[in-house]
This record gives sequence, C-alpha cells and structure tokens, in this order.
Amino acid sequence: MAELSTNQNDILLKVENLTMHYTTRAGEVSAVDNVSFELRRGESMGLVGESGCGKTSVATTLLRLLPENAVIKSGHIYLDGLDLVDLNEEKMRQVRWKKISMVFQAAMNALNPVYKVGDQIIEALENHNEVKTNQEARRRVEDLFRLVGLDPAMIDRYPHEYSGGMRQRAVIAMALACHPDVIVADEPTTALDVIVQDNLLREMIELQKQLNMSMIYISHDIAVIAEVSDRIGVMYAGRLVEWGASDQVFKRPLHPYTYGLMSAFPSIVGPKRELTTLPGEPPDLLNPPTGCRFHPRCPYATESCAREAPPLRDMGNGHFVACEHPMEVSLEL
Amino acid sequence: MKREGYTGNLVTTEPPQEPLVRVENLTKLFPLNKSLFSEARSFVHAVDGISFTIQEGQNLALVGESGSGKTTTGKLLVRLLNPTSGKIEMILNGTQTDIASLRRGEMKKFRQNVQMIFQDPYESLNPRRTIFDTVAEPLTVQGIGNIAERELQVAKILTTVGLAPAETFMFRFPHELSGGQRQRVAIARALVVAPTFVVADEPTSMLDVSIRTGIMYLMQKLSDVLGVTYLYITHDLAVARYMSTRLAVMYRGKIVEIGETEEVLAHPLHPYTRALLSAVPVPDPTIKRSRANIKGSIAKPIDPEPRCRFIDRCPLAAEVCRSNDHPELVELAPGHQVACYRAGEMA
Repeated sequence: MAELSTNQNDILLKVENLTMHYTTRAGEVSAVDNVSFELRRGESMGLVGESGCGKTSVATTLLRLLPENAVIKSGHIYLDGLDLVDLNEEKMRQVRWKKISMVFQAAMNALNPVYKVGDQIIEALENHNEVKTNQEARRRVEDLFRLVGLDPAMIDRYPHEYSGGMRQRAVIAMALACHPDVIVADEPTTALDVIVQDNLLREMIELQKQLNMSMIYISHDIAVIAEVSDRIGVMYAGRLVEWGASDQVFKRPLHPYTYGLMSAFPSIVGPKRELTTLPGEPPDLLNPPTGCRFHPRCPYATESCAREAPPLRDMGNGHFVACEHPMEVSLEL
Repeated sequence: MKREGYTGNLVTTEPPQEPLVRVENLTKLFPLNKSLFSEARSFVHAVDGISFTIQEGQNLALVGESGSGKTTTGKLLVRLLNPTSGKIEMILNGTQTDIASLRRGEMKKFRQNVQMIFQDPYESLNPRRTIFDTVAEPLTVQGIGNIAERELQVAKILTTVGLAPAETFMFRFPHELSGGQRQRVAIARALVVAPTFVVADEPTSMLDVSIRTGIMYLMQKLSDVLGVTYLYITHDLAVARYMSTRLAVMYRGKIVEIGETEEVLAHPLHPYTRALLSAVPVPDPTIKRSRANIKGSIAKPIDPEPRCRFIDRCPLAAEVCRSNDHPELVELAPGHQVACYRAGEMA
C-alpha cells in the first residue's frame, strides 16, 4: 500500500461536525450526528456501515441533494476552501457535478427510461456549459463511454437495452462528465453479480488513480471497502465511530463495533474461522441511545458509556476512534 | 406429537443408504412468445437436465449468478413449479416417493415434509396477519392439534428461533418487527410442521452483516436439533462455505461442479468456479488477489446450442468444447464432479 499523505495542504474536502436531521411526523431522526473527516486529493475513502447507519445520508448531505424534510443542523463541508453548507441552491448547482458528483446505487432509477443514455449525459454537459456545439458534446460523450468501458455505439440506445453492469458504467460516465474533483459512489456495485462487480471495481480504482480524483466509496460490504479504499470510516447509528488508514483499521480495529463487523464477516480465503454475532439490533434513530450509541450492544460497555458520547480521538498515526474503551487486538483475517 | 419423533434422527450415526433427495435429469423450460394461435417456438432452458443427490443431514449449497437457474431448481424441489421432464425422488415418512407424480391429495402430506424459506422477509409475510396467524397456518392446513395445542406449538417454535418470550411476539404484526426478526418468523413458519427437507432461497441476503450471522447460526442449530436438511441457495460463496457440507455451482441451467464445500473452494476445477472464486472480494486490504479472468455476463439460456454452456466466456475453450454437447459431470477427485472437457488437464 502506498504511503498516505499527511500533508495538510492536500486536503480537498474537510467535513466538520456535520449534523443532519430528518423531520418526520414521529419526531426528529438523527441521521447524521457530529461527523468529521478529511479527504485528500487523489485519495479514496471507504464509508462502511449497515443499513440505516447514515452513510447514504452523509453522501446526500455532501451534495446537498436532500429531501425537503432534511435539515442541516450544524457543521461545515469545506470543499477546496468553500463551505457548501452556506451556499444557496443556485451556487450549489454550479458546484454539483463540476466539483463533486455522485454515482447512485440503483442505476436503473438514476437513468431516465424514456431518453437515450447519450442524450442524458449531453444534457448534464450542456447544463454546466461544458460544451458549445452538438458535435463537441457528442465527442465528449464518446470519450466518456470509452473511458468507462462502454461501446460508443451504445450512445443512442435506451437504458432498457443496457445490462445491469452497463447501466452502472453509464451512470459512472455521467458522474465523470464535468471532471469533478470528488466523486461519491453510493453502493455502485451492490446489485451486480460478483464477476461484473469485480470488473467494475477494478476499473473504478484505475479511473480514480488515472484522473487523480478523490473518491468516497460507500458500501455495507467490508470486503469491497477493503479493496477500494486508502482510508476507511466506519459508521454506526449516524456517527462516525472509527476512521483511519485501511490496513490499520483492518489489522487493528479499535472500536468494538468495527471488530464485531469484521469478525462477523465470512470469507472464502484462509481457514474457516468461527464467526461471531453482535447481540441486538441497530437502534431506532428517532430515539437513539444516550451516550455512546453502540453501548446497548457493546460487550465492553461501562456505566459511563451510557452517559457521555465519546468524541473521535486520535490514537496515533491518524487512526481515530470514538470509544471510551478502545480495543487492543490485532486481527489475522 | 409428531415433533418428538425427530430427535430419533440424531441417533443414527452411519449415513443412510438412500439419499434423502435424488434428482435425475431435471429440466424446466419456460416458453417464449407463445400465443393463443401458435405454439412456443423458443424456450428458456432455466434448468437443463441436472442430477444430484442430497444425503440426510448434508446441507447442499447451490451457488451461481442471477439467471443461473438456482431459484428455479429450488421451486421445482418444493413443487411450486412442475418440471418439464426428469425425476425428483424424496424419502417421505420412510418411503421413497416420486415428487413429480404426486396428486392433489398427496401434496398436503408432501408439504408437511418439505418447506421453503424465501429471500425477502418484507415480502413473504402477510402484513395484515399477526405472527401467530402466520406461524400457525401450516398447522391449521395440516390439521395438526386443536387451537390450544397449536398455540403451544407456535410458542415453542418462536422460542426456538430466538423470538422470546414468545407471548410478546405472537400477537404483533410484521411491521412491528425488524428485518432479522421477520426472517426468524419466516423460518419458524417453515419449521413448525417439522419438515425433513427445507429449500432456503437466499434467506440472509437481505440482512445486514451483524444480523446475518445470527440467522446463519440459527439455521445451523435447527438443522442439528430438528434434523432438517437444507438446500441452501445463495449467490454468496462465503455464506455457502458456512452453511453447507456440499456445494454445487450452477451456470445457465447446468450444474458445472459439485463436491464437498471445502474441497471445491480449495481446489476448484471448473474454469467458471475459478473465475467466480477469484472475483470474490477479500476483507483484507493487504491481500492483492488475482482477478477474475473472464469478462461479460451470463446470457439467458434461450435455446442454447448443443455445446458447452460456458464456451463464450471460457479462457480454456477449445475445439472439443465447440464440437461436442455440454459435457457430463465427471468425478475427478473423490466425490468431486466437474462438467468440463478440459478440467482433467488442470486437476
């Protein structure tokens, strides 16, 4: 693994104490709570967690693609020095796709079924004044198609004529259209079969390096995260509970939840080890537990864990954990 | 009560002579473009002449990509679908029975022995019925016990699947339960009539990792305690590793490789199995695995040519694969069968 940069000047995206709630009839849902992390230029960060842990909410907050009932309560999102939280919708529209773009999970829903795929990408290019003439737009889309491994002959086809893997490639092409600095990929390979997923993952990593983009890769699958990420953030119940270089997080998980996730994950390599189970279920974010949100399921919880929410603290080498009683284990996965 | 009889299965130590399930040349074709005035001219060969056996207590995992025919196989075994041709034999109450020829009256008895667990616990439970109604229904249909006895039976199975205390769950509705709890209800419903054989179709693929392991262990426990044998259908090889004694890999309606799970994972012989295994991501950032060497995706088996079904994507394809029909399964190592003309060269 390449040495990770520690140079503060390389930081492209800095998220500080981000808190976002959804207002529902039943009350406030604390979907993102006090999340902070940094993303350097050319680096990929994996965000891992289970359904409902807030990982997709972090993504939609970063791009400010939030439903009407969502409120950013506090915090900052500095992209290249610009705080996205302060921008009005008009300004935000200029940033979106050009500076930061997103690859959505369900490629079938991200593409409009009644328009040709090429035309949908051309529309994105035109809206951002990236192209002046039709010929130029067409050429750009052809280049993009080649870049993501699609046959340019597919430009004039409709989404239903694409296979699942091809659709996902088209959605990636669209996200890359305006040369963003940061691309947020939300479970882009989850619905795909394993061989198609493998091909796509490999190509995404190559693209990210080749274009020197930064990437936030969101997945529930720690094995996929292990393959694509330089750094990893682990989310639980709306909070970032651990953050650090991937090999550190995998070899020396500090948070009991991270450890639990990893030892519950079956693998086909190595000896068949015993899988552990985490007791209980993730909490309801309408009424999150007090203190550390993991404490009701944590085997190491003490009385103080229920009282105070532990802050994310640096345990050395940029390996952060939000836990009163960090673990001292080294994992042979 | 019937349930008591099942502990008897645990006493036998030597494997029984006859397999619990024996499938021979099982085929299911789905007609395409069939209309009122014309016969179908082409068919999807969803399951294309497969044969295998399952011994009692030896769970078989059926793995493959979407469209490989694994779910169709599962549905044929529980007779949610009728086969186009081929034989399915099972031992029901001690006698070997041909499943395909069962009549309406006999189906009821069959359903007491053979059940299915579905993938999506949000879809498979009726939202308007209480947990008790859902779990007790198989008992009602089978006419087992009176109401009081059924209630006891339901309470017992709910406790067994980890929904305890049962009284607090019985009269709730599915929307009040989490995904993991719903899947436990679905398992309870399948097992309440004490079946000997259960087809489990991706029962954990909708669940989160921290919940999934619990369900996997539960199913293993039930297999040991109640003497249930599973056909475990999954696309996830790592889950299959933990849930099965034997493993069968399907591709376009054919079983291309079958054997002891650990043996197949350690020494895959079919080029497709190898590709599948090398495509599975590994949860360790320091391991750089060799990548899958095949491209493209699985094509629908519509009127397939009489040659190897994998030929278009195979890195080893040769003339012998083109000029002959799809290869038969051949035993290349003890209990390890492969359908590939060139696998012998790699063994």
